[in-house]
Amino acid sequence: MRRVVVTGLGLVTSVGANVRESWDALLRGKDGTGEITSFDTSMYKVHRACEVKKLNSNCHPAGKNRYTVYECLYASTKEALGDSGLIGYKDLDPERIGISVGTLAGELTIFESELRDHPQRKSDGFSMDVVLSYPPMTLSTQLAEQFGIEGPNIILINACSSGNHALCWAFDILQEGKVDIMVVGGSDVVPQTEFTHFHNLKALAPERCQPFDKNRQGLVVGAGAGVLILETLESAKRRGANIYAEMKGYGLSSDGYHMTAPHPQGEGAIRAMTLALDSSELSYRDIDYISAHGTGTPLNDKMETLALKTVFQDKAQDIPCSSVKSMIGHTMGAASAIESVVCCLVIKKGAIPPTINYETKDPECDIDCVPNQARELEVDFALNNSFAFGGNNASIIFGRV
Amino acid sequence: MKKRVVITGIGVISPLGLGHQEFWNNLIQGKSGLSPITSLDVSNYPCKKAGEVSGLRPADYLGDKGLKYLTKGTKFLACATKLALEDAGLNGNNNLPQHAGIVVGSALGNYSQTTDYTYDILRYGPEKLLPMDSYDVALNSSINFASVFFKLKGPSRTVSSGFTSSTDALGNAFNLIKSGRETLLISGGVEQISLDSYLIFLMQRLLAGSQDSEPEISTPFDRKRNGFILSEGSYVFILEELESARLRGAKIYAEITGYGTSYMGSRRYSIEERVKKAAKAMALTLEDAGLEKESLELICANGNSSKLVDLVEARAINAFLGERSKEVMVSSIKSQSGECYGASGAMQMTSCVLAMHNSTIPPHTNYQKPDPECELNLVSQEKIEKNVKNAMVNSLDYTGNCSCLLLEKKSW
Repeated sequence: MRRVVVTGLGLVTSVGANVRESWDALLRGKDGTGEITSFDTSMYKVHRACEVKKLNSNCHPAGKNRYTVYECLYASTKEALGDSGLIGYKDLDPERIGISVGTLAGELTIFESELRDHPQRKSDGFSMDVVLSYPPMTLSTQLAEQFGIEGPNIILINACSSGNHALCWAFDILQEGKVDIMVVGGSDVVPQTEFTHFHNLKALAPERCQPFDKNRQGLVVGAGAGVLILETLESAKRRGANIYAEMKGYGLSSDGYHMTAPHPQGEGAIRAMTLALDSSELSYRDIDYISAHGTGTPLNDKMETLALKTVFQDKAQDIPCSSVKSMIGHTMGAASAIESVVCCLVIKKGAIPPTINYETKDPECDIDCVPNQARELEVDFALNNSFAFGGNNASIIFGRV
Repeated sequence: MKKRVVITGIGVISPLGLGHQEFWNNLIQGKSGLSPITSLDVSNYPCKKAGEVSGLRPADYLGDKGLKYLTKGTKFLACATKLALEDAGLNGNNNLPQHAGIVVGSALGNYSQTTDYTYDILRYGPEKLLPMDSYDVALNSSINFASVFFKLKGPSRTVSSGFTSSTDALGNAFNLIKSGRETLLISGGVEQISLDSYLIFLMQRLLAGSQDSEPEISTPFDRKRNGFILSEGSYVFILEELESARLRGAKIYAEITGYGTSYMGSRRYSIEERVKKAAKAMALTLEDAGLEKESLELICANGNSSKLVDLVEARAINAFLGERSKEVMVSSIKSQSGECYGASGAMQMTSCVLAMHNSTIPPHTNYQKPDPECELNLVSQEKIEKNVKNAMVNSLDYTGNCSCLLLEKKSW
């Protein structure tokens, strides 16, 4: 089996338009939450989200940025490819580079804005703009087109663990040797439709996201994209690429329990983390940092704490376990990809981003969530958790090379 | 040590029938599942036909409870899964292995219900909508529901790669078992006809009869073909690791021996290049299985009556087979079944497995005018009795992948 490493990173978040800006902001504990500008929220009880305000690249030379899912994905892909030294790199077989991308709802905002501008019935037809962006697959085919990537091409739709699923998919085919390099990521923006869905489920916090806090009131929806260049160690060495971390292994599971609520004892989460440790051939004692799913909903954080205690036993309260969702919101299909980027940066830079907005201890969430202040720490192994709605769990472990 | 992967159950909800028996009987009799669309008002549009699922009573499969808020697609998938589990002898509470998972392909999933929900938000206001109104409107919620309903503890994954979605899902499930990660996976595809899917394909002029002068007919590889006819349904398989299947004495239909994929979607590619890419996917699949071309007897083609894709596929098959193209039979069932887009690979695989199982290749109906550019060893208008040991399933998405699966009939 081939070893799989990370050689490039790209980020677009509400706190920064690239990796450097986002990382600095995350370590400073910057809150990306603000009043929603992309649609009218006067009919809602909640008015805030973590929207993306700036993109460093424009993939439509003629037009200005519309902050679509593809534009965020494009910007972070461009950054990641550049970071890994692949842009302009000559000695590559484009068929040995593939793409796997996770998203929750594809380009729903394109459809929404058309509908707002031209209220109509569905039977009146769609504009070609909607027609051509409607199938989720168009995200990865556009990416292939724009960067001349000709290997396997896939979209994974697994709600809020989509990004991690995309990484697992890529990991498997790299390990097998079917490809040398995979562009892997997740991207989502804030569609009114998803906002309404979470709003009406009463899953949204009114002001801010407070993971693991006793008074946490829910999640804050966020926009963003995270992209990682995964590569076989062999290929990375051959081209002398900078290596951030190694992807050691992963675990997938389902709760098989409920369409929206997590399993109360975290059965599925426990299995995902355990499988991730097993497939990485690591013990729970080896893990130095956990990027929590930590959505800030009462149910998730309680369940996640319980699951962490089961898996990490005596070490559960010692391992720093923070949630960047406190700063950049829940970016849905992008969340676990962004948090995987964070894990790689944690390993490379020796620093841990905090969980901000933390004020009141919750006896049911008695873990070290790195409250409010970033921390310097040498991390050899980091675990990234994602536990999506519907009980769709994916945990990944990254390690120092 | 690589594990071997076998098919032990099949579940079908299709316009050609409910359950794989009915689907197969109609298929070999040359019956058509295509008829005037009833679920949508298409009076303002040129294309009137589709392959719709009819006569499905989900409560007969799933019980009465909790069905009210489910979409059509979610019901298709849950019913097909139920049938597949029954067929595999895994129905009942304690029969399913503890960590069974589900990997399903769908190009559009429940997206039409997502956009319906969007319409409702803008039309009525968010405060008028209930939490249950968005219970089953996520792209992947059909798969989530199946995982909750059947209490699956293994992975649940929705693969969306356009028309190759279910082929890529089956290929992924095959790899997950082969590598020893999983021992039992439910895998296949699901699609539902909606105004969205109809319009998306109509507006790209991909449907048969979308231009006035052309007939609305599905006739793969025929000179008169001018587009596909949309269909819906769900095709689900139980995939198991060979040893554990044998241990429980399961009936085994066939073994999946290979999967291969290549990207042929780039706008930069000429037809010749696409042909090369598609032929490469076929060759990769054969290589994955470690099989010689000489052993291949049947190709269950993508052939969906589309002008361009059929041409690319026919030329790719010939390029791939070389000398063997005179002997390897090519079967397309889409004249009867229509194009079930993201679920098509699973639909073709159903036909392929049953053809091997019953030693019969279904007929190629509607075929009248051979296209000199699509010269293939096609099955005739009548079914053919033939023992097939090794067969390939092809999936092509003109803007995406060409993905293939290889199957082998085994008797244990």
